[in-house]
Amino acid sequence: MSMTATRMLARDWRGGELGILVAALVLAVAVVTGISAFTTRLQSALEQESHRFLAADAVVRGSSDMPVAWLEEAESLGLDSARTLSFPSMVFAGENQMFLASIKAVTDQYPLRGELSYSEQPFGQVQPASRGPGAGTVWLDSRLFALLDVAVGDSVGIGEAEFQVVAAARSEPDQSAGFYSMGPRVLMHYSDIPATGVVQPGSRVEYRQLYAGDNRQLETLVEWLKPQLGTGQRLLDVNQGQPGIGSALQRAESFLLLAGSLAVVLAGVAIALAARRFSERHTDYVAIMKSLGASSAAVNRLYGNSLVLLGVGATALGCAAGWVMQAGFFALFADQLPVVPGPSGIRPYAIGFATAFTCLLCFAWPPLRRLGQASPLRVLRRDMPQETRRTLGDYLLGLAAVSGLMLWYSGDWRLTLAVLLGLAVTIVLGLGLALTLLRGGRLIGMSAGSIWRLALAGLQRRGTANALQVVIFAMAIMLLLVLVLVRTSLIKEWQTQLPPDTPNHFMLNIAPEQVQEVDQLLRVNGVPSEALYPMIRGRVMSVNGEDLPQTDDREEGRRQRGANFTWSDTLPAGNELVAGQWWETGTTAPEVSLEQEFAARLELGVGDQVGLLIGAELLVATVTSIRKLDWQSFQPNFFMVFPPRVLAAYPATFMTSFHLDADEKPFLNQFIRRFPTITVIEMDVVVAQVRAIVEQVSAAIELVLAVILAAGSLVLVAGVQASVDTRMQESSILRALGARRSLILGGLAIEFAAMGLFAGLLATIAAELSVYVLQVWVMDMNYVATPWLWPIGIALGVFLIAGLGVYSCRKVVSSPPLAVLREL
Amino acid sequence: MIKAENLQKRVPMAGRELEILKGINLEIKSGETVAVVGASGSGKSTLLGLLAGLDDASGGRVVIGDTELGLLDEDGRAAFRAEHIGFVFQSFQLLPALTALENVMLPLELKGQQDARQQAEHFMDRVELTPRLDHYPRQMSGGEQQRVAIARAFASRPEILFADEPTGNLDTRTGNHIIDLLFELNQEHGTTLVLVTHDLKLAERCQRRVQLENGAVWVE
Repeated sequence: MSMTATRMLARDWRGGELGILVAALVLAVAVVTGISAFTTRLQSALEQESHRFLAADAVVRGSSDMPVAWLEEAESLGLDSARTLSFPSMVFAGENQMFLASIKAVTDQYPLRGELSYSEQPFGQVQPASRGPGAGTVWLDSRLFALLDVAVGDSVGIGEAEFQVVAAARSEPDQSAGFYSMGPRVLMHYSDIPATGVVQPGSRVEYRQLYAGDNRQLETLVEWLKPQLGTGQRLLDVNQGQPGIGSALQRAESFLLLAGSLAVVLAGVAIALAARRFSERHTDYVAIMKSLGASSAAVNRLYGNSLVLLGVGATALGCAAGWVMQAGFFALFADQLPVVPGPSGIRPYAIGFATAFTCLLCFAWPPLRRLGQASPLRVLRRDMPQETRRTLGDYLLGLAAVSGLMLWYSGDWRLTLAVLLGLAVTIVLGLGLALTLLRGGRLIGMSAGSIWRLALAGLQRRGTANALQVVIFAMAIMLLLVLVLVRTSLIKEWQTQLPPDTPNHFMLNIAPEQVQEVDQLLRVNGVPSEALYPMIRGRVMSVNGEDLPQTDDREEGRRQRGANFTWSDTLPAGNELVAGQWWETGTTAPEVSLEQEFAARLELGVGDQVGLLIGAELLVATVTSIRKLDWQSFQPNFFMVFPPRVLAAYPATFMTSFHLDADEKPFLNQFIRRFPTITVIEMDVVVAQVRAIVEQVSAAIELVLAVILAAGSLVLVAGVQASVDTRMQESSILRALGARRSLILGGLAIEFAAMGLFAGLLATIAAELSVYVLQVWVMDMNYVATPWLWPIGIALGVFLIAGLGVYSCRKVVSSPPLAVLREL
Repeated sequence: MIKAENLQKRVPMAGRELEILKGINLEIKSGETVAVVGASGSGKSTLLGLLAGLDDASGGRVVIGDTELGLLDEDGRAAFRAEHIGFVFQSFQLLPALTALENVMLPLELKGQQDARQQAEHFMDRVELTPRLDHYPRQMSGGEQQRVAIARAFASRPEILFADEPTGNLDTRTGNHIIDLLFELNQEHGTTLVLVTHDLKLAERCQRRVQLENGAVWVE
């Protein structure tokens, strides 16, 4: 057949027949590609971020030095490498100043990933550094300046060597997270170690070899290294994210994937509707072509080719739009992301392509395939039934396609299930309710005025078709409500998690006699702080009378463990009891409350006895409750909490956290000078970074929401259009018979509004259910009931559907009836 | 030559079989013009559908030339129509998304004819619609649309032309003009014309009239 698919498409495009089909396809591909590319790149950024926390791609750590041959092997594979050595040592200054510091010696290449930072003066402006201190020089922790009473340019001693202080050490990418036991940092050059003479066999030291470079070469090295690792040597993997940013981004990712999945569903429905209308309108077209001699195969080929062309075109357009979308997202982020995101690869575009063709094959092709079977006799008898009705098989195919795509795309079966559950409820409840209510509508309508009678009779006459339409409207509205709800609660939760005065500094080692003074100093300077928590360091020695093994501190499983305790009569803020009961105020019974994961590591439950070594004394306590707490809250958190009276006899120090703005930082200098023994941990950079990223993620979410709203509107428009032809026909006959404009428009408005009412109601019910499942199962959030959803969902249904319906049919009152009838 | 032997058509209706055509026997010679007349519901259009191979018969057979239509499948009949048959319908049946010219080109394209455009332009000129080549059906009057349909019917140079109430949707004057055109072109091309109508004046212009009543040939 020489009449090509291209020409038919071009003609249909001109005739406006393809608008919704193409728009739905392009939108689906764009959203799926854009979001997928975005999340892929975000994941690569997160992975780089975790590499940053190792300062390398892979690390071998050990208490003895590792062979130089390993470094040579890395080099021969084209990998970068560096070495570090950490050990505690006294640092001396002047005649009699000294302090126990945590020394870290690094080679020139360190760090391989991430950045070192320093400041020219203690607590001064932080600056990035490409390498650590040179030979003969050191960087000191800001607070060491006060503790040792030195300034930049002075010299300090470590062991037998003297070093010049050239800067303040501010941060290292692989800074230890367990800051409770950390002494102030001194950074020095690796080559200076022998001169100090402090590292002797048996010293408490930690050697590290760091490697970075091409993934495949790295794997080769790792495989080569593994069998050679000795006792006390460990290979570190990269599964150590940064909690604050990681969790914010992960939830955003879940949200985006959810949004993308919904886009696929919405687009699928829009495509199915548009394809059905398209094929209905083409039935006569096909009948004429067949009467003129076209075979079924030729017709199928023509429409099949058209779909392929449409798919290719829409995929190209959609991929381009998706690329722009993800680039836009990253433009929003560029300044905040600590690393440059890698390329997305072709997978997102492959997903876009697959989405387009799956949608076309499963939603558009079934009705079009039957066009080939249309009888040419329609040219003589237009009242012949059309062959475009969907069968149960078509619906099942569509359902399978939607589920498969969502699952493939999100990689999360719980998310897929939650959305499918909502959809299933909408469909089952919807068809039942809609059929019942629409039937009931007529009984009421019988005695009502003529507009109402007209509208309700219309609803009743097209009962089944209307019920289907109500379900489709309900699905679209439900998906939109779900998205808006999840987005709202997500953003709200972020905001409450990181309020503007989130503590961004921690203060440890406050002696009991300093508590009052510290509290006062903070208050005088207007620094808002959390309560002062007592802190006692101890060690878990036995469980239920059975001694625990004393193995390497980094081993997993049941062993002796060091931990920080606190005491409190009340459940600490932000903690949640998950098992057992909190003790009565004033109790002297040796009870203890454990953090959930800590308890799990020690395999402890409520009722177990745990033996602790505090100082030189042994304390046996009974576990009476297990707590869940949020480690990202930037609040002081404890593994073990005791009743105050139980710990009263043990020596404790105190800790607190407080918020300090950037311009208030000089206060720290004054503070450290006054209390040189108190440790201050600065988290302000991290907190600011997390907040900035959360803000950007929120912006990205709003953007995606807008795109999905567009997809939802397409479904509504396609849904309304699906029935416009019959309604227009009936209305123009009424018009020809002399019906007033107000009667026709009023009747249509009531008819569509009634459908919108049912759709809105259904959508709201299903949305509540889906959101519950999503929040509780998928996003790990707390479910919050949303009473405001009900009026909004229903009003949305009524006004949107009535508005769209009347708008789509407006022609019936503005054009002569014959012109309308002729066009149908 | 078109030959119908004991042609029957029954359709299920409300649980019973409704007999629309009750064994029609008919012969139409090449180049002949025949009018099928009868009241509404007498089975005229059904007969036309069967003779043109648009529908399956419930009994009997239709032979055109050497081909028995009942032995062909739907696609075979489509190919046969493309090669030998043209149509003019009461409701014009132009494709709304195509321009007048494209509508005329369609059957030529379906036959794979290379010069479809020139041929179509020629026939558009023949029905005096050259100035309206690029107009869409909705921009044309009923008479103009039917002229486009006539141009389309003759453009593929069919041996047989079936016309179903070609003036049914037109006023008398326009209708007359259309009929003049139809017979003129018919004569020019020596086409066999089978015309279904209930307009007796129109029927009289044909060489022969077949009157149907209750699904049977009443007068021939």
